[in-house]
Amino acid sequence: MSIITYIVDNWGTLGPQAVTHIEIVAMSMAAAALIGLILGVFAARSERFSTLILGVTSTLLTVPSFALFGLLSIWVGLGNPPVIVGLVLYALLPVVRNTATGIRAVDPAVTDAARGMGMSPIQVLARVEMPLAAPAILGGLRQATVMVVAIATVGATVGADDLGQPILEALGRSSGTLAQVLAGVIPVALIGLTADLILAGVQRALSRGTAREAGG
Amino acid sequence: MITFDRVSKRYGRVTAVGELSLEIASGEIVVLAGPSGCGKTTSLTMINRLVEPSSGTISIDGRDTAGMDVNALRRSIGYVIQQVGLFPHQTVAENIATVPRLAGWNRRRIAARVEELLEMVGLPPVEYGRRLPAELSGGERQRVGVARALGADPEILLMDEPFGAIDPVVRVRLQNELLRLQKVLHKTIVFVTHDIDEAVRIGDRVALLSQGGVLEQYARPVELLAHPASPFVAQFLGEGRMVRRLALLRVRDAHLAEPNGSGLPAETVGADASLRDALDAVLRAESGRVTVRDADTVLGVIDSESIREASR
Repeated sequence: MSIITYIVDNWGTLGPQAVTHIEIVAMSMAAAALIGLILGVFAARSERFSTLILGVTSTLLTVPSFALFGLLSIWVGLGNPPVIVGLVLYALLPVVRNTATGIRAVDPAVTDAARGMGMSPIQVLARVEMPLAAPAILGGLRQATVMVVAIATVGATVGADDLGQPILEALGRSSGTLAQVLAGVIPVALIGLTADLILAGVQRALSRGTAREAGG
Repeated sequence: MITFDRVSKRYGRVTAVGELSLEIASGEIVVLAGPSGCGKTTSLTMINRLVEPSSGTISIDGRDTAGMDVNALRRSIGYVIQQVGLFPHQTVAENIATVPRLAGWNRRRIAARVEELLEMVGLPPVEYGRRLPAELSGGERQRVGVARALGADPEILLMDEPFGAIDPVVRVRLQNELLRLQKVLHKTIVFVTHDIDEAVRIGDRVALLSQGGVLEQYARPVELLAHPASPFVAQFLGEGRMVRRLALLRVRDAHLAEPNGSGLPAETVGADASLRDALDAVLRAESGRVTVRDADTVLGVIDSESIREASR
């Protein structure tokens, strides 16, 4: 019984499911990156906001994904949307935390010099703090992405047509086989690994001159 | 000219700087010196408004800085700090290009300026331009810091203990380089230090501050060493004031004696040497007299009496 044979035979369904899976992850991560960066910047500036937002995002991570997707489907309907929204919420913690930590780790002398030379607060952020925090931020994005790729499979329970489907089908039927489960699990692992490698590459490329190479 | 008019800075009940009035003439190096907590750095950073005064006004060439656009003001003033604060993710050339870039210069003008500045601070552009700050020594970093501060050719340069973290040998070299640069550039330099030797060495004038930003004395170094205005100043200046002061005076300016009948002493000292070096030579000389030469010309003879006279 070959898992390879199974995947090849069922590529007609598995292929589109893999594409949907990647789409869901990409959309969630794009939104999480945007929201997380903004929240992270504010968290770096304000200790109180930092405590609040890290508390909220940590709490979100404790909600079981099955329950979260289910709850969200009440508001946004079944299918991909509740999964995307749920994954954004899960991805926030690592992104916010690493953004805030990365910005705070910038040497105060460097930002002092930047301000002293006449950079506006936005210029200091964009030209100095963000580039220097980039390795840490990318570290957060890597963590979040790997996590989200895996959790997206649970989205199948609320109707997302992603790689959770073959797993869910196999588990829900007495005739389900190990090959069927693996047909979902292996591509998911490959997607996660590939995404991590790509982001690791980006992280290295953005690490010029920064001593910190925050791991993912 | 930078004018402090009754400038105060208070943090709650604590007064960091109290009613400071000070005039800093264009083209001079003015050193703000004093022990820690005397408000010297606060006073410095009120000039580029990294710290805003609680009361009083600071004006540059008669214009109140409080009314200026803060970022435009800062771009027109060079700023050098002890930790240098180079951008670690940018090359030396990119760092130096910071202010010209903010000011919107074109690429060619920026490149030419960066090259000029690197030459000026003694770092060959070809060798250093593409390096990252992490690949520089402490002294080289501070040179880049000075070059970066001079980026858009500001009239004013603020230096906050720029050589404080540098080992003594390199520090003296950097001080000399700054003085050499200043001879060419004629900037208005405000320089903060807690090191009184550095202060009298590089300052055209020294403003000595005590706790709470009180101006104890504002004078030329030779004046400060000869006539401390208060016990505080005398104590801060430390031991051996008059001998140290000799290092600031030049043989050329002393009243030299005519060579007498017994001929010229064999020992010589240059006209541009300090009186301290002259005194050293006098003490070593058999006759207690030393010939002063300016290249090949004999200017006269110096002895302990003429040194004593010149130092008063």
